[in-house]
Amino acid sequence: MPALECKELCKSYGRTMALDRLSLAIEPGRIVGLLGPNGSGKTTLIKLANGLLTPDEGYITICGRAPGPESRRDVSYLPERIAIPTWMSAKQLLDFYGDFYEDFRRDAAEEMLAHLNIAPDQRIKQMSKGTREKVQLIVVMSRAAKLYLLDEPIGGVDPATRDYILSTIIGNYNPEAAVVISTHLISDVEKVLDEVIFINQGRLMLQSSVDEIREEKGMSVDALFREVFRC
Amino acid sequence: MLRKLIKHEFRATGRIMLPLYLVLLATAVGANLSARGMLETRYVALDILGSLLVVAFTLAIIGVFVMAFVLMLQRFYKNLLQDEGYLMMTLPVSIHQHLWAKLIVSAVWFAATVLAVLLASMVAAYDVGVFKEFLLIFREFFLGLRMLKISEALNGTVILAEAVVLLFLAMVAFSLQFYAALAVGHSYPNHKMALSVAFFFGFQFVIQFLGSMLVIGLDKIGAFHFLDRWTLTPAASVHVGLLICIVGVVIYGAIFYGITTLFLKKRLNLE
Repeated sequence: MPALECKELCKSYGRTMALDRLSLAIEPGRIVGLLGPNGSGKTTLIKLANGLLTPDEGYITICGRAPGPESRRDVSYLPERIAIPTWMSAKQLLDFYGDFYEDFRRDAAEEMLAHLNIAPDQRIKQMSKGTREKVQLIVVMSRAAKLYLLDEPIGGVDPATRDYILSTIIGNYNPEAAVVISTHLISDVEKVLDEVIFINQGRLMLQSSVDEIREEKGMSVDALFREVFRC
Repeated sequence: MLRKLIKHEFRATGRIMLPLYLVLLATAVGANLSARGMLETRYVALDILGSLLVVAFTLAIIGVFVMAFVLMLQRFYKNLLQDEGYLMMTLPVSIHQHLWAKLIVSAVWFAATVLAVLLASMVAAYDVGVFKEFLLIFREFFLGLRMLKISEALNGTVILAEAVVLLFLAMVAFSLQFYAALAVGHSYPNHKMALSVAFFFGFQFVIQFLGSMLVIGLDKIGAFHFLDRWTLTPAASVHVGLLICIVGVVIYGAIFYGITTLFLKKRLNLE
């Protein structure tokens, strides 16, 4: 059963079509790059998968279930902005995740926080923007979820932090799960991807394994992206 | 899951309300000291200090009520409709659970604020001449309760219970009107807060208009004529009055509950 599947999915904002009859399936055990230029519909697709938006037409399922409270048990979602309550301390945030998610691995989260020298009683509002992003990623990746939806996890951070984020993703995800990384910074994520999905103006342009792209087209994902989305 | 949401809601709000209650009690002690002998003394500085302590107590009372109201609004707005919404609305809980957690915790803080103000007022009035006489009236009232017949005591208890239920439901319905306006206003891409305010007053107008039309309509078809034939005891009249109010508040709250859940489920539009 696909970890994420959508069929003829449509979503518009007023007259702007964000997703236009999008159909795709993402299988478990794959790290998938959801790639496209700004405004291509990546975030809309991820929001629909989380039930933050309702489709106009078509359907989307998570491990066979429509988005809702039950499907959210299977999904670990990293939004593109800081969503963790900043009044909380790091320890209170772990308590929060531990309360709501049975699959939360508190020991893994504590280990990663200790590695970054973040004191458990330090409040999130006292942390720098970069540290907040790392803490948010740590709690998201400390879940043994079936589907990880990571929206722009490396956008707006320095190269050293990008490396930390990518190594945290690779070092902590559940290998039986699917990981979807939405980004337009392809060269940074290319090395960790098994598969790529190109979308543009809400339509599927390409879904292929990274190995196929390298073997059949003889180019990197970054080079193919630049070719497909040439302005 | 509702229990867990309530726990974390209390954690988020208690850090603000509990210190405020302490400030309220501290100002009540100040007001008590002021009333005992800091006003109308031979020393101007002492008089000014005494007046300031009474003003501080008054401001603290206003402050706790305002903060209980602001928190009710802010927790819904900030926690569900702003950035934190990305975390909260993707938890494995339903919209109904989210809403009830907010409503229950807000109602508890409203009730706790009333109790805290009563307690603080007692502290401020403790052993102060004028208030002593006032407190004696309460003492006589409670002594008088002992003389009541069983039926009267039972009626009184039920009326009190009905009044408490009505108060709780009124607080919930009051909060829901604000929640509905925020949920509808924030479903639009721009001017979310301005639209929320507009929808609040719009709802207010529509409810008042429909309520008035309903009462006038029922009166015209003679729906209230049965009241002329009823010969109710005073206690029964109070029961009927309170029950009608409870039903009215439930209908009022249910309308806004429906609007809020519908917009949070179908028209959520986080930035």
